[in-house]
Amino acid sequence: MAPHPDDTAPATTDTPSTLHDLEELAQEVEEEAEHRPPPAGPASNLVIAALVVALGAAAAVGALALGAGTARTPGPGIWPLILGVLLVVLGLGLAATARRTADTEQFSRSSWLVLAGLATMLVFVALIGTIGFEIPSALLAFVWLRFLGGESWRTSALVSIGVVVAFYLVFVAALSVPIPHLF
Amino acid sequence: MTVLVGFVPTPEGEAAFTAGLAEARRRQEGLLVLNTPRGGAPVSADVAPPELVRSLTSRAEADGIALELRQTPHTGDLADELLRVADSVNASVIVIGLRRRSPVGKLLMGSSAQRILLDADRPVLAVKPQPTAG
Amino acid sequence: MDLAPVLDGFAVVLEPTNLLYCLIGVVVGMLVGVLPGLGPAATIAILLPITIGIEPVTAIIMLAGIFYGAQYGGTITSVLLKLPGEASSVVTVFDGYAMARQGRAGTALGIAAIGSFAGGTISIVALSFLAPLVASFALDFGPPEYTALALLGILLVATVSSGSRLKAVVAACVGLLLATVGRDGFTATERFTFGNLNLADGLDFVPIAMGLFGLGEILYNLEQRHNATQAPTKVANVWPSRQDLRQSSGAIGRGSVIGFLLGILPGGGATLSSLAAYAVEKRRSKTPERFGKGAVEGVAGPETANNAAATSSFIPLLTLGIPANATMAVIFGALLVVGVTPGPQLVTEEPELFWGVVNSMYIGNILLLIMSIPLVGLFVKILRVRPAILAPITVLITLIGVYTVNNSVFDIVLVIVFGVLGYLMKKAGFDPGPLLLAFVLGALLEDGLRRSLLIFDGDATGFFTRPISGTLLVVFLLVAVYPFVATLRSRRRQEPAQDTSDPNTKELV
Repeated sequence: MAPHPDDTAPATTDTPSTLHDLEELAQEVEEEAEHRPPPAGPASNLVIAALVVALGAAAAVGALALGAGTARTPGPGIWPLILGVLLVVLGLGLAATARRTADTEQFSRSSWLVLAGLATMLVFVALIGTIGFEIPSALLAFVWLRFLGGESWRTSALVSIGVVVAFYLVFVAALSVPIPHLF
Repeated sequence: MTVLVGFVPTPEGEAAFTAGLAEARRRQEGLLVLNTPRGGAPVSADVAPPELVRSLTSRAEADGIALELRQTPHTGDLADELLRVADSVNASVIVIGLRRRSPVGKLLMGSSAQRILLDADRPVLAVKPQPTAG
Repeated sequence: MDLAPVLDGFAVVLEPTNLLYCLIGVVVGMLVGVLPGLGPAATIAILLPITIGIEPVTAIIMLAGIFYGAQYGGTITSVLLKLPGEASSVVTVFDGYAMARQGRAGTALGIAAIGSFAGGTISIVALSFLAPLVASFALDFGPPEYTALALLGILLVATVSSGSRLKAVVAACVGLLLATVGRDGFTATERFTFGNLNLADGLDFVPIAMGLFGLGEILYNLEQRHNATQAPTKVANVWPSRQDLRQSSGAIGRGSVIGFLLGILPGGGATLSSLAAYAVEKRRSKTPERFGKGAVEGVAGPETANNAAATSSFIPLLTLGIPANATMAVIFGALLVVGVTPGPQLVTEEPELFWGVVNSMYIGNILLLIMSIPLVGLFVKILRVRPAILAPITVLITLIGVYTVNNSVFDIVLVIVFGVLGYLMKKAGFDPGPLLLAFVLGALLEDGLRRSLLIFDGDATGFFTRPISGTLLVVFLLVAVYPFVATLRSRRRQEPAQDTSDPNTKELV
């Protein structure tokens, strides 16, 4: 298990004056301001590298199907082909440096919050066409406030209703934006 | 055993601290001051600023009371957090300050004090600020 | 220099509607900039739909206003909370936060506002003279020059972006690949549309920008909730004393020059210039030990420089059509959305728009100075609002906003897809900035490349025989190769000296 980057960072009691030291110090401040989950291991770095290689390969195959043409008469596939090959090379580079990469984050328990947030947005987009934006919006706001934000039932209910009323007044009543609405 | 004070930087919190200090002296126990803001926002008016913390510490020192101050933010209801801490340190008494609320305000915001009084399974000392101080 | 179009530009800016939108932009930018989590690029991206349906000049004036406002908002949180809103105000933390703890938060914010105003203004004056020159020089550029320029721009942004260079280049390639989706401009072949009619005209810029920067950022922030809560800092005495002003006047002057020069370079001009300005001030100071303990020059220098750089980074955008950083890429996309193609022709063909935007920066800077000093107290209050309450509101604004652009539910789907992509990229250590920048430049780059190949009759060496494109490509190669050489060199130098050192230090690179 790699130690937290802070452990290895030089102790900087006084501010340095070279640009390089400053950059490091600036990074420390940023890391301190954001409490992030610990870095993921080499295995996830390899998965990422593999995804990049796969994307590049898929692009290259698709590009060849489109027809690359020749250098004199470039076809529609030539540019995607170049990019695909480049991505494969870069992906291999990522794989080679997977051991030394420390900027990938682990998924933590709170990553489920993100998945839940995504689910509310998918519900929103599935419903908006048929029943208008009001109910899906209120639902989304309520779930985010109560379950993702840990607000009280009372605050969540009041804010989500208030937001929908405000949106209705701004988008439908004032600006008459053609957004699907129920009322 | 320890005396637990729910503290906010207001006259009510001040009154609770003074009463808690007296109680700790009387019982010859330590004093735990819980000054926990609602977590999430980067800034909260409920947090005691450093100068105030220093003055509270020196007042407790002058009285020879061991003071512990907790300022970690909480999620959910303040009353629940206070009761949870009271259980975890097995407080001998909870000291809180009462503030005046209009009936409408109470309906909308609820009352932490009421919940603490009703739900606590140990003595609760509820104090009001001196009318001259407020 | 012909002054008539410049004066016409002022007439455009001083129209009440434009003044109003400039004001709205600055205030909204400051409001959102103060909130931790959403930087200038995200703010502009989320508010892109507002620009639909208003005049191009007005739209750009407002977006530019949001841009400066958001920058100053980041300064406020750096000084008061030690939470830099974005990379370019990180150095402000060193002395700004120290000043705040000594009870001089007001002075720090005041000097930052005055410095920003001075730096911005000096930079605009220089821009007014330089931009038309660059534009007229660039008028002769053909497809090979544009290809080389776009390549260099993307590479430079990838090089200085936060995080790993390799990952930034990967992100840029993905952006270029996304730009190829849709009908090919030369042969009308459909590429990577998978038979989906919504994709036939290519991916729209707005949902990508809103998704990557807006939703992606919000989803990413959902995961971190353990920020410490601080007591409110009292902000009094915002006007700096005469002594403070005297002490920082040199820093403001030097910061303006450093900021202007570095801001023109593609990449993180504002960040680099704030670091450079801080280093210069500390080096020049007779009492360098005061730095980091509340030296007023340590706030004045970087804050002046980052604003000067923010202003001068408009030069490559408005004169060459090459955005210098992710925020400029968003503004570039916004310009395209309202029907303006930035490039060398802009000065001559649409002088009203060009000078209107340039002159709006003067007004924006004045508004910023007027608004920031008395309203600091108000902005500080916003910090008490919990992000949990703001997040769903921002999400709904994004989802409904993107729908209003084309009245299309498919765009909502796209914004969600790119939101997830943005989140995953940040998780995996990829900066989304280069992706968006490359996406914006993708069509230009491919078009330039294929046209050049046609011009050169298939001979790629033609790129190197033309003087300008050749020079640019040599610079490109140097920038691309330099990091490897530097790493090799430093490794060779370090290995004999500290072979007993902790092996983990390498992971920091």
